[in-house]
Amino acid sequence: MSAPLTGRRVLVVEDESLVAMLLETILEDMGCTPVGPAANIDDGLRMATDGERLDAALLDVNVAGRQVFPIAEALKARGVPFVFSTGYGEGGLPDEWRGQATIQKPFTEAAVRDALMKAMGVADV
Amino acid sequence: MKHLAKSGDLAVDLADAFDASPNPYVLLTPDLRIAGANQAYLDVTRSVREAIIGRPLFAAFDSGPGEEAPENVRQVKASLEKARDTRQRDHLAMVRFSVPAESDGPDPVFEERFWSATHTPILNARGEVVWLLQHTTDITELEQLRQTTRARSKSARTLDAIVGGGVLARARQVQEDNRRLAEERKRLQDMFMQSPGFVAVLAGPDHIVEFSNDAYRRLIGHREIDGLPIAEALPEVVGQGYLDMLDGVFETGEPVQGQASLVQLRRAPGEEPEDAYVDFNYQPIRDADGAIIGVFVQGHDVTEGVRAAERQKLMIDELNHRVKNTLATVQSIAVQTARSHADPRTFAEGFQARLLALSHTHDLLTRSHWEGADLAAILQHETEAHGSHRVTLNGLPVALGPAAALSLGMIFHELATNAAKYGALSSPEGRVLVDWSVSNQARPVLHLSWRELDGPPVAPPKRRGFGSRLIERNVRHDLAGEVKLDYASDGFSADFSIPLDRGTHS
Repeated sequence: MSAPLTGRRVLVVEDESLVAMLLETILEDMGCTPVGPAANIDDGLRMATDGERLDAALLDVNVAGRQVFPIAEALKARGVPFVFSTGYGEGGLPDEWRGQATIQKPFTEAAVRDALMKAMGVADV
Repeated sequence: MKHLAKSGDLAVDLADAFDASPNPYVLLTPDLRIAGANQAYLDVTRSVREAIIGRPLFAAFDSGPGEEAPENVRQVKASLEKARDTRQRDHLAMVRFSVPAESDGPDPVFEERFWSATHTPILNARGEVVWLLQHTTDITELEQLRQTTRARSKSARTLDAIVGGGVLARARQVQEDNRRLAEERKRLQDMFMQSPGFVAVLAGPDHIVEFSNDAYRRLIGHREIDGLPIAEALPEVVGQGYLDMLDGVFETGEPVQGQASLVQLRRAPGEEPEDAYVDFNYQPIRDADGAIIGVFVQGHDVTEGVRAAERQKLMIDELNHRVKNTLATVQSIAVQTARSHADPRTFAEGFQARLLALSHTHDLLTRSHWEGADLAAILQHETEAHGSHRVTLNGLPVALGPAAALSLGMIFHELATNAAKYGALSSPEGRVLVDWSVSNQARPVLHLSWRELDGPPVAPPKRRGFGSRLIERNVRHDLAGEVKLDYASDGFSADFSIPLDRGTHS
């Protein structure tokens, strides 16, 4: 069922190690290769732009007190699809990022998979 | 009070002149005591100088026992006080005031008389009132003549008009109206002045400040604005839209109102303008013909309320963020714990113990209003279940920020659980030594070692469990620190270095 995601390299930006570990576990279960996780914006930005192959990204909106949008811009410029994860609810995103694939904390494995596939434009088979 | 005036070579004693004048004069101190009176005054009031000098005027002369006496006294007193307080001459066209008449018996007899009075303040070089001069004219005969004439002949209207019965009556009426209006005006002004809301009256097309109350001056930073056009009085407000609104009200007569409207006000010269939020109302002021002559401004400074609402929204957002993050953390603990426990019973035990460790650190933080928690307090709680005499804590107090406190709470829980299961605390003789210190005060780093002694022989684990992964990940990821886990055969040890000057996010 998760075949479309097998082997995908997915960047994780998340400041809480336990939440990052959960995301890694979920990604590994889906056959993905987690990249990172980055605990802050600077590390995340470096990983998003160092030229390594990335197929997708999971971005916590509030990372160590800063907003993740510079990384989102960099990924958008590279054409890498991404999913926001947020505890702020629907209203937590600024207007320019509304409509972007988003998962709400706490999240299920199914929610992570569906959001990634929506962002990457791949169909479930 | 002898003053000499020089007129050529002739020296005139003014006090003599004052005394000789046929007009009654009395000179009063500002608190209305009699300082001097001329002979004409003494004659007309039938008094002697020695008996009245230094006495309060209205103790010496109280207008007798008549019903109208208090009102007569009030009118004269009001005129004197007005002359004193405004430092302007004040006239009383006609006032009734009774004076003692000649009497044969021991009790004084009063005679009602009509007076016209002028009250003149006398100022010193600094412009302060030092004396009040009362100049009275006894017009009783005039008034009586008027009344007799009118009674005798209906055709005596001309004389009546000349003598001024009507004029006097009108003058008295106007005098009374003015007094009432002045009082009303003062009462209204006092009410506006003390109103908790701000009030200003702007006159003319340039919105000249004619009146502004205390609340208005507080709002704008206590500037002198009365008499200035509003654009000059509050130059920083030009361009914020309020002047256009005032123009609109003045031109169209349509009132304008605003709620929680932002206005930037420069409250002190040279300072940056400050944001204020106001509820306000602009209403046209019309004259008797309905023409708009000004704008009435009133409203409330609601800045505090707006700020409180903003803070509350921020707090709710932040609370929601924290709760969701905490739930995600708990979710992660549940998922990871489940992976290392096939048996639901041991899963429940392990999961609950981790949950309680997290919850306890929350308690410690709540006690300090989430400012921080003490390192030793966290260590103590996580290890005391295994016997406090077996765990030795050694180090000075270290205040941890919320993020570091939450992380270290979980880390110590994993260390203690591991020691109880496989390490030194699993055998009766085993002990744990925890030592810590803080180096580099400019950018403080916590060095902490966890050393297990006298336990069973140690073998490195075949696969890394959730506990050791959590420790390593948490230290590097959340705390930007270093940790070394050493599975030496004579006892497990862990050495931490953790920077303490990072932000306190969680």
